[in-house]
Amino acid sequence: MSMTTTPSGTAAAGAVDAVKVYGTDDTEVRALDGVTIDFERSRFTAIMGPSGSGKSTLMHCLAGLDRLSAGRVRIGDVFLDDLSDAKLTELRRDKVGFVFQAFNLIPTLSAAENITLPMDLAGRKPDAAWMDQIINIVGLADRLSHRPSELSGGQQQRVAVARALVSRPEIVFADEPTGNLDSRSGHEVLGFMRYAVSDLNQTVVVVTHDPNAAAYADRVVFLADGRIVDQMENPTAERIIDSMKQLGG
Amino acid sequence: MIRIALKDLFARKRRLVTTGIAVVLGIAFLTGTQLLSVSLSDSIKSLVGDVYSGFDAVVRSPRTQETPFGQPIRTQVPAGLVDQVAAVDGVGAAVGVVESPGPEIVGNDGKVVGGGFGPPTLVYNWIDDEGLRIGSLRQGGPPTTAEQIVIDFRTADSLGKQLGDELSIATTQDGVRPYQIVGISGLGDDGSQSTGVRPITFTTAEAQRLLNQPDQFNFVAARAIDGETQADLAARIGEELPEWQVLTGEAFTAENQEQISQFVDILEIFVSVFGYVALIVAIFIIYNTFSIIITQRTRETALLRAVGATRRQVIVATLLEAIVVGLVAATFGLAAGFALATLLLRVLSGFFTISSTVPSLAGGVVVLAVVIGVGVTVLSAVIPAIRSSKVPPVAAITEVAVDRTAISVSRRIWGAALVVGGVALIGTGLAQTGPNPLYQVGGGALAILVSVAVILGPLIARPVSRAIAAPFSLGGLIDGRLAGENAARSPKRTAAAAAALTIGVTLVTLIAIVASSIKASADDAISSSVKADFVVATASLTSFGAIPADSADAIREIPGVAEVSPIRFTLLRLLDPVGVASATTATTVPAGQLGAPSDAPPGEDTFALGIDPASWFDVVDSGGLEGSPEDLTAGTMAVERKFATERGWRVGDTIPVYFVATGVQPVRVAVIYDEQLGQGSILLPLATFEPNSLPLFNTDSQIFVTTEPGADTAAVKAALDAQFADIPTVSVQDLQEYIQSQTGPINVFLGIVYALLGLAIVIALIGIANTLSLSVLERTRELGLLRAVGMTRWQLRRTILIEAAIIAVFGTLMGLVIGIVFAGALSVAIAADNPGILTFQLPVVQLLVIVAVATIAGVVAALLPAWRASRMNVLEAVSSS
Ligand SMILES: Nc1ncnc2c1ncn2[C@@H]1O[C@H](COP(=O)(O)OP(=O)(O)OP(=O)(O)O)[C@@H](O)[C@H]1O
Ligand SMILES: [Mg+2]
Repeated sequence: MSMTTTPSGTAAAGAVDAVKVYGTDDTEVRALDGVTIDFERSRFTAIMGPSGSGKSTLMHCLAGLDRLSAGRVRIGDVFLDDLSDAKLTELRRDKVGFVFQAFNLIPTLSAAENITLPMDLAGRKPDAAWMDQIINIVGLADRLSHRPSELSGGQQQRVAVARALVSRPEIVFADEPTGNLDSRSGHEVLGFMRYAVSDLNQTVVVVTHDPNAAAYADRVVFLADGRIVDQMENPTAERIIDSMKQLGG
Repeated sequence: MIRIALKDLFARKRRLVTTGIAVVLGIAFLTGTQLLSVSLSDSIKSLVGDVYSGFDAVVRSPRTQETPFGQPIRTQVPAGLVDQVAAVDGVGAAVGVVESPGPEIVGNDGKVVGGGFGPPTLVYNWIDDEGLRIGSLRQGGPPTTAEQIVIDFRTADSLGKQLGDELSIATTQDGVRPYQIVGISGLGDDGSQSTGVRPITFTTAEAQRLLNQPDQFNFVAARAIDGETQADLAARIGEELPEWQVLTGEAFTAENQEQISQFVDILEIFVSVFGYVALIVAIFIIYNTFSIIITQRTRETALLRAVGATRRQVIVATLLEAIVVGLVAATFGLAAGFALATLLLRVLSGFFTISSTVPSLAGGVVVLAVVIGVGVTVLSAVIPAIRSSKVPPVAAITEVAVDRTAISVSRRIWGAALVVGGVALIGTGLAQTGPNPLYQVGGGALAILVSVAVILGPLIARPVSRAIAAPFSLGGLIDGRLAGENAARSPKRTAAAAAALTIGVTLVTLIAIVASSIKASADDAISSSVKADFVVATASLTSFGAIPADSADAIREIPGVAEVSPIRFTLLRLLDPVGVASATTATTVPAGQLGAPSDAPPGEDTFALGIDPASWFDVVDSGGLEGSPEDLTAGTMAVERKFATERGWRVGDTIPVYFVATGVQPVRVAVIYDEQLGQGSILLPLATFEPNSLPLFNTDSQIFVTTEPGADTAAVKAALDAQFADIPTVSVQDLQEYIQSQTGPINVFLGIVYALLGLAIVIALIGIANTLSLSVLERTRELGLLRAVGMTRWQLRRTILIEAAIIAVFGTLMGLVIGIVFAGALSVAIAADNPGILTFQLPVVQLLVIVAVATIAGVVAALLPAWRASRMNVLEAVSSS
């Protein structure tokens, strides 16, 4: 199994020799230590690894929420490293979907408004058919006018995923989207993302600690100390657990 | 616990600054004015002491009358009195003194110097006796011919004049003519001091001629021989000359000091009002800030409670924080007040001598600053503190960062009680019952204002915020929608942030409406009753007797002129039963006064106009007349109907009237007319006016001119302009200009009021900025999320700016509505007493400007928080808790 993959033209996003250093000198932490990876279109990737291994950092840098110390990242054909803040923001709005572990929604807006937020910010009308499709799949048709405070945690995360998908981004990143949910709600959210990849041809990358969640993916990437240490195609929960034991030991 | 509170406080220095700044400004104004007035009255007292320092005794006429503008008017004394006083034992020397306003200095720009504000130009006569001379000569010598004068060094400096130069002086006798400066004087032993008054010293004869008081002095001043005390001297003169009023030099000086310090007192009251307004506005801001901080600290407080802090400890900790904020703010406020007073003293020292430009820091002022600063802050923090103590320990694990509680029943009850109480106070105040109507009306208005801002505000804040946001979200703009929802999310906070602005705008609106109504009323009254085409008037209200005596006759010669009607003004005292009953001040006899007491009997002081009965009723429509203008002969008067009815006067009645010049005189009511112009309830034909008036008032103040039908009015105007071209103290006005000049002083007053209220609004805006900063802090995570999903910095900034605009518009609209309601109530109340006196008029343009300015200013206030919000790190924001 190769430790790295070379970037290819069909990838939705990728990183080359990504390095992220926090702090200086004695307090220096290399959160990413030379990561090269590609995320192919219409695939579901899971990223796993021990706490502090740099999973979130990688996602943030890929999604244009943070900048690398060295190396390059790109979304589609656009390299993010020399984009201005305004261009980066525009790219996040139009080309990237992001789901956080919690607090994904604006409390003053209804579920529907939260979903269309990126489109509204861009001043564009969402594609009605696409929007209907997404809403039906997440099963929120009767909850659209509710405020986030009136939704359950699982429903809130589903709204967040719907929002991430609504503008048909190049790629959706989700950082432990089910971390705060019970396993049933978690599976609903993951099932929805799986559906988005298989049936709607979307590209999704998920960070998770849960082997069962990672088993939804087409591929699992293992990170440790800011490096990619292992990869696995068509994973199952058992193989993932085995692999984690090996890496841990 | 205390350590925790203080640690938290100093960890957030910026918040400390924004919380305290409103208090700092309020205190600065209060203490600044007080320090200023203490220093000013000290300076003025010592200066006035210098002016009359050589006098041991003053002999003057007992015939006097108070005036609304402070300085009493008094008749002159005959020149012969000087020798009589000089002959009294113990008198070293006695001189007649001329001291009066009248002629004005014409500056290099051809305009009157001083222009009606500040210290006056005064005419003096040259006094040979050095001990009794006012001031001392710095350069040159005394005036020896009628064309020569001595002026003081400050006047000379400000006009760039030197010894030997000519100075133009406007007089009623000769128009504008040059006098030669032969001496330059100053006050104090070395002539280095100045009171700011512009004294011009003429020869005695010329001074008397210019003031129309030949062979008369305003008073006689005497110097004692060595070893004679002032008291003994005054007593001896009083014994010898019992028909005159005698004062010791000290008493005379004290009386003058008293009169001047009244002006300083009024100034102080006027400016401190704004200090108090600033403080009231500050209360709202501090209350709001503490409320927000405490809500934000809910979790922390709950944690403290969970680990065993008592409710008392929680309250004490918050109040302690308030005390520290108050103390710090009071200290800075005092420093700022000191700086303000120093600055103003510096500025004022350009006009007159000030003993020290560093204000003396009186202990009372320090105590005032600390008490008010800490008091106001603690007061505003009490309710939030109590609320914070009610946080249940379990709140530590729930997430409530925003105060969304409904408006409690007790709050509504209190609010209703305040409104009812306020209305009652205003009602009784306007009905003139109760100890102090003015305070009652003010207090009532404040109660209503507070209750509306605190109770009604939160109730309507949500729908109104959304309504205001609607135009911003047109076309699906998400930032407008977000801003509206943010403002609507915590209606109590939005209302409280807006309340400070509401107060400021209420005051501005109220004053703007009342002023415009007064102007509209004057406009109505003048344009409907004055038939004159032109009015020749003195350029400033204070320059008496600026119109040359022969002007009216000269105007009659102008082709096309039909009627020429001069008017004069004076004060008289009515001694009819109503007047006697309403006498408020019996003229007080100052300590140290001997001889005849003031002879004015108790009565009611009122303005009266001197008119020419043959032409007056043609140039001013006075409605129906009872009696004929021809009956207005010497010893008669015309009275306005309402005034006459109130007093039960009828045509033919004889009323005792006190004139300063001639004492009590019977005056018969010859005409009663229906409608009056301005202050003129009583019209005296010149035949009554002239013999009974002091020379100072016995000159034309205005001349009304009508043109013949078909006459070339432009030519008449040109001829009038030509006639008065050389006299800067006189202006020729058409009716519109006349109306403007009559209402001009209102504009000046308004300018000052607007400027000072602007301060209250600035403080209110600091409040909005403060609230927004805290809200932004509280919403960090949300804002981070918005940025993460693609909101640009500009969009984020705009969202916050729109939110500020919503709060500002909300506060402004509330203020506007309350202001209009108050003004309406006030004018209804006034109209109930005096029908037709006030035309309620909304100054639409001004009100729109107020709304626009407040809104723009609100947005400006949000610039900093908005900028800061847009600069924050997206990731840190998202992961903050
Ligand atoms: N803002 C920061 N400043 C300093 N160090 C940071 C910062 N953010 C992350 N790090 C460090 O970088 C390393 C990687 O952090 P990262 O959040 O990417 O880990 P993670 O794999 O997401 O862990 P977890 O599973 O706990 O979420 C950690 O050692 C962390 O301490
Ligand atoms: Mg992480």
